[in-house]
Amino acid sequence: MKLRFALLGLATVGIAYGFSWALRMPADAVQGESARIISVHVPTAWLAFLAFGLTAVFGLAWLATKRSKLDHLAAASAEIGVLFTALALVTGMIWGKVTWGIAWDWGDARLASTAMMFFVYLGYLALRRATPDATQRARRSAILGAVGALQVPLVYFSVNIWRTLHQTQSVRPDGASMPTETLISMLVNLGAFTLLYLALLAWRTDQLRIEETYLAETSLAPNAGAAVIPPKLQPGS
Amino acid sequence: MTFRRQALVILRRDLRIEGRTGEALLITLPFGLAALFLIPLALPLDTALLSRIGPGMFWAVTLLFGMFITFRQSAGESPAQHEQLRMLGVDPAARYTGRVIASTLLLIVFELVLAPTTILLFAPEPLDGWLWIVPLGVLVAIGLALIGTLVSDMTASLRGRSTLAPLLVAPLSIPLLVPAAQGLESIRTNNGILVPAMFMVLVVLALAVIGVMTAQPLEETT
Repeated sequence: MKLRFALLGLATVGIAYGFSWALRMPADAVQGESARIISVHVPTAWLAFLAFGLTAVFGLAWLATKRSKLDHLAAASAEIGVLFTALALVTGMIWGKVTWGIAWDWGDARLASTAMMFFVYLGYLALRRATPDATQRARRSAILGAVGALQVPLVYFSVNIWRTLHQTQSVRPDGASMPTETLISMLVNLGAFTLLYLALLAWRTDQLRIEETYLAETSLAPNAGAAVIPPKLQPGS
Repeated sequence: MTFRRQALVILRRDLRIEGRTGEALLITLPFGLAALFLIPLALPLDTALLSRIGPGMFWAVTLLFGMFITFRQSAGESPAQHEQLRMLGVDPAARYTGRVIASTLLLIVFELVLAPTTILLFAPEPLDGWLWIVPLGVLVAIGLALIGTLVSDMTASLRGRSTLAPLLVAPLSIPLLVPAAQGLESIRTNNGILVPAMFMVLVVLALAVIGVMTAQPLEETT
């Protein structure tokens, strides 16, 4: 528990530090002040990719080992991934509204494919809720997690594959096409959001374990009305 | 019995059941056609607009209504039938393959009826290389059959299946819809369909590998 609070504390400090760098970066010549949103938008999108990638990894590991903790980790990671995807979409839409004049542009392949990835994982969570048996739930969601992970590279490379309004990757192996302050604020926030992800993952995994244990115990307990014996009608009475 | 023979037996069974029940071609197909009729009624009376959106409507209706062909109840197996197949030693991957081929064939028939209806109702501008639509249509049918059959097995025996399965298939089929639509646009602008078609082939291959590899663990869920 101490480690989780430490992670949360570090994440908070890190995010505050990242924001301070975002405020220091120069306003963009074209996008103006709105360019600062990149320090949140890009890390949340990367964290969503990480979370969904790990959902697939934990799911496949569950298929191989059948350890319930791995299923809880996969589910928790998917939930956090959905949260980060929502944040990435909202910040992207705010940015789009200021920069392009519209919040949602159908010509933007990254935006549309991210929204589709969001729906795939909403479906993942719905599938989990619809499956009452723990083993069946773990198996089905592990397979969907593996199929859903196909969307991650698709979203990432969508800006290269399809004609789009969205800019291509700003950070590439050959360097970053942005001012140093922007890069620092983005990388600091990436680290801070990763710590936040780890803290949330640990908390949510525990909650899922407790929830599953509780449900297993209560499903074995007799129902409230089990002690009541219905009267039997005698023939001719 | 070899893998191929097992798949063929399952394929023949699915097509025979479809022949008897007509669920895909007598219920889902008219439903898709009704959707094509409904869309222009919901739009302003603008012939140029309808002509422009017609090809897109064809793909959207194919994906949204075609998925119900892959979930058709007549292709589902009762627990007893399933147990019997398992005891007979039918390979889950062969079962999956047979079902995918059956759904693909039905989806191709579905597209063959939808395409001329779309041309009649929306009057899209004539295309020079219109024959290139055929490989795109076949790839969409295979891809949709692969996703739909996988999701159909994944949601088998669940209470909310009728709403959950479409929720899962719709976003997963986007990697098919986007290149299919781009392919048509490429044909219109005489740019060739190689890039979108190759992309669809990759998606279909990835789905086929996942489908065959997960057939065994999915069999244990039903």
